[in-house]
Amino acid sequence: MADYSCLVVEDSPMMRQLLVFALARIKQLRVTEAEDGVDGLRKLADDRFDLIITDINMPIMDGLKLVQRIRVDDIHKDVPIIIITTEGSSEDRARAMALGANAYITKPIQAPQVIAQVKELLSI
Amino acid sequence: MNEDADNAPPHRASDAPMDLRSERESFLRSFIKRGAEITEELLGENDKLRGEVELLESENTRLRTQLASDDAMRDFIKRIDALESEKRRLLAATHELRVVSDSDASRYEEIESELNDLANLYIAAYQLHASFSIRRVLRHVQDMLGQLMGAYGFAIYIVEGDGKRAEVIAHEHLDLSTLEPIIVGDGILGTALLSGVAKIPDDIASGTVAEPFAILPLLVGDRVVGVISIVTMLEQKSHWATVDAELFKLIGEHAGSALIAANLYSSVDGPVAALYGVRENLNKRPPSVAPIAERD
Repeated sequence: MADYSCLVVEDSPMMRQLLVFALARIKQLRVTEAEDGVDGLRKLADDRFDLIITDINMPIMDGLKLVQRIRVDDIHKDVPIIIITTEGSSEDRARAMALGANAYITKPIQAPQVIAQVKELLSI
Repeated sequence: MNEDADNAPPHRASDAPMDLRSERESFLRSFIKRGAEITEELLGENDKLRGEVELLESENTRLRTQLASDDAMRDFIKRIDALESEKRRLLAATHELRVVSDSDASRYEEIESELNDLANLYIAAYQLHASFSIRRVLRHVQDMLGQLMGAYGFAIYIVEGDGKRAEVIAHEHLDLSTLEPIIVGDGILGTALLSGVAKIPDDIASGTVAEPFAILPLLVGDRVVGVISIVTMLEQKSHWATVDAELFKLIGEHAGSALIAANLYSSVDGPVAALYGVRENLNKRPPSVAPIAERD
């Protein structure tokens, strides 16, 4: 059984599959997928996660709103959040970090970078 | 002989005349004094000799110690030489290990990078051909361009039925009103539609709608069915990745056929209907389209 659980919130099936493929290399990690912010909140209500990875630009509810919601959630308010996005400006990064994100990675992603960040935040 | 004299009792010292007795006592005193002086001298000489013996013994001890110390030093130097030799051997081994370790680390990073590239290609190809929905196929092409390669402002054109012009069917971060239809043979995009030759500069830069930075024709066999115009890239995309050339190739050679499959599928009623006529068509080949594998 995996030691840690991770929620990946990403509307692009291609990116989601890439992230799941990359994270599969961390044996202690169980990954759950969500298609957008609302789907992410639903999964958060059903389960307890140790890490959340989210895109910013998504339909229905974007990643920044999701971060805000997570930071007031009793169960997940302290869970580390990684933003993975095409938005590469320093303002976007600063806004995400101010809302409570713990790390900010820009696309196109490199799997080793994502894996290293996840391991650092989970201290594994 | 005088009998009286012979019979007389022997004279004692005390019987000696005073001058003789005095002389004798003087002699005795002198003798005893001299004996005492000689004894003193002998005792002094003895002490002196004893001191010299002690000095010699001390020197002897020192020399013996030094000799032992020299032996220990020789052993010590031998040990140092052996340790120096061991140190040199260990340093050489460490150096060799470091070289091997660096080489392994470098190879590991290389393999990680190759694995990452292969995963990108596999997932991109898988997603591209996993759907018969035109919208989804287009979405996957857009994701390949935007999310995997880092394109920002781009447009996808498809050749219309008459084959003389192409219309935009999808775009990101470009004003639709500026995306005019392309006349085959006209301008940089029209020329790419005619020639099927891609324009991918070595260095990333910004272009305009009229003069895009990169152009990728969409091929089905040897026929050009559309073109992708890339005007700008994401600001963080400063250079091409190794996998980008393969992704361009994948899009150029597969996006057109994926769109055709999705478009044909959309005009029939489900998968069984889409397979209608497969046996009859098995040996037919469209005259102007050769399989990609045969073009090389």
